[in-house]
Amino acid sequence: MSKLQTVIRHEYLTIVRQPSFWILMTAIPVLIGAVIALSFFGNQSSVARIEELSKDLKNVSIIDDSGLINKKVVEASGLTLSPTDQTATLREQVQHNEKEALIVFPSNLASARTYQVYLSTNDLTRSSTVTALGENILKTSLFLPLGSAEIIALAQNGASATLTVYEDGKETGGINEYIAPGLFVVLFYIIFAFSISYMLTSVSEEKENRSMEMVLTYVKPRTLIIGKLLAVSLVTLTQIMFFALLALIALLVLRQTGNAIGLPLGIDISKIVFDPMTIFFGAAFLIVGFLMYAGFMTATAAAAPSTKEANSFSSIFFIGAFIPFYFITAIATDPENPIVNFLTYFPITSPVVNLIRNTVDNLGPLQSWISLIVMIGFMLLSILIAVRAFKLGALEFNQTIKLSKLFKR
Amino acid sequence: MTKPIVAVKNFSLTIGDKEIVKELNFEVMPGEIFAFLGSNGSGKTSTVRSLLGIYQPTSGTLHVNGKTLSPETASIVGYLPEERGLYTRSKVLDTMIYFGELKGMTRDAARDFSVSFLERVELSDKANTKIKKLSGGQQQKIQLGVAIMGNPKLLVLDEPTKGLDPVNRKLLLDIVDQLQKEGTAVIYITHLMEEVERLAHRLLILKDGTARAYGTVAEVKKEFKSKSIEDIFVQIYKEKSHEVTHV
Repeated sequence: MSKLQTVIRHEYLTIVRQPSFWILMTAIPVLIGAVIALSFFGNQSSVARIEELSKDLKNVSIIDDSGLINKKVVEASGLTLSPTDQTATLREQVQHNEKEALIVFPSNLASARTYQVYLSTNDLTRSSTVTALGENILKTSLFLPLGSAEIIALAQNGASATLTVYEDGKETGGINEYIAPGLFVVLFYIIFAFSISYMLTSVSEEKENRSMEMVLTYVKPRTLIIGKLLAVSLVTLTQIMFFALLALIALLVLRQTGNAIGLPLGIDISKIVFDPMTIFFGAAFLIVGFLMYAGFMTATAAAAPSTKEANSFSSIFFIGAFIPFYFITAIATDPENPIVNFLTYFPITSPVVNLIRNTVDNLGPLQSWISLIVMIGFMLLSILIAVRAFKLGALEFNQTIKLSKLFKR
Repeated sequence: MTKPIVAVKNFSLTIGDKEIVKELNFEVMPGEIFAFLGSNGSGKTSTVRSLLGIYQPTSGTLHVNGKTLSPETASIVGYLPEERGLYTRSKVLDTMIYFGELKGMTRDAARDFSVSFLERVELSDKANTKIKKLSGGQQQKIQLGVAIMGNPKLLVLDEPTKGLDPVNRKLLLDIVDQLQKEGTAVIYITHLMEEVERLAHRLLILKDGTARAYGTVAEVKKEFKSKSIEDIFVQIYKEKSHEVTHV
């Protein structure tokens, strides 16, 4: 086995053998699943609880000054409308806990769009139940003149739009065209959150625990860095495969349920478009961007005397990866904007900006190639800086390497 | 006539604007323990790093076994640096095998050596323990094991007994003694002069990157008209700079 292979094997196994690696990997989908499940079941149980509590709300008075409330709707809830001149008396009864609640729909309800609820208790559940009751009575009263239950439901919940988009006289996939290239943006952030930092810790820990000199006695700095880069790339591949497997399982579940779980924004799995060039550039921007960031992280770790300081220095790269989101509208809709062009070619923002522009298809083939070549240039530069910083700083255990020293011939 | 395992000729090293080592010359013979002495910042570590090919000399040559070393060819050397440490999150056996492979051993050979070394230093039960769970002394034994893997022709030990209790110190010195008897040359860097008196055949005292004393222990003592290496060391470091005394 060559030294490069030995380094790759060691670095890869060191990361994937850590229980924390798998805990983190499974924690994300489990957490997402748990949040969705909790929200789903939580909502269901809340609705059920409110319905249950509504049945008990017999000691509630309703006063309508607005003339908008339908008497039949109130009676259907098991309640009656009280005369408007009893407002003060009923409010006092609520105050002294003789009545549970009072709902007052004022005369200016239509213009002010507020109504009053008086409660005899500070109980949050009771408060939301009475508010929901008031809301329900108001909405149903307003929608009742529309006629059928279907029309009322349509008025209350709206309808989803099915988009058909034409470009150059041909029908396009609409939002479904963005899904495949958009996945590379998501992948970039997953890699960024998980893998890029491995490069930083791998170098800075080796330096901090003083194993660096023993390693560098037998391995050239360049071999060590390339070995680490390739090992972290393999780790990333492992993560991608793991998440892809989970996504596949989710997809199968979705198909099994016959799309019972609706996807947002009119996304239709069967209509997702896989354009080879977009996929190629998405993958290329992802890989080159990953290697560029990994190079910068290595340089940072080699130049800093400790993991703590390396982490502080590296925050600039994390900021760079998230800055594009402040300009997301301009990036997606205004490709000629000078700021967008600057961010497209600025090293630490270029991966995300190019991935987003590739997703919304406003980069064009020529500019895609130019962006890719520029990014490859930055990637090579970052690796060169990393090797240089490594040679200078790997054995400097107590001091930070100055930038001037880094670029000195 | 026996060829030296280490031959350093007119070696100078400048890093940045600082002249670290100036015109250094010395040889180390196979099977000898060579004490390489000097205070902190005298240029010892830089010389060793240059010998191993980690640093490039500004001028002169540093040969080990007749060749200039690079990290790719340094497997004939076992090195225990002063700033030493191990992968704290890795297991003992995995770490030893990794270093063995980096030194050019096969995985099986590295495993066999590691298992027998751990047995010898009574750490067999720790083979699958993470390094961070070992005591400082136990970690130092592992570091020595890593240094002597692959039967090196030259062993460079930089303050090997620092922080060791007397039992482990004796164990380490016994291992060094055995290797030396088997023909391994040892460059021994230490601040403990009693170790030099006890172990070293020859020595070199470095001050400000320049050799100030060089020869067998007896020759150096005779030259400086002193009965103790410690006194000679103190004397050299109290003096203002002057040229090397070759014995």
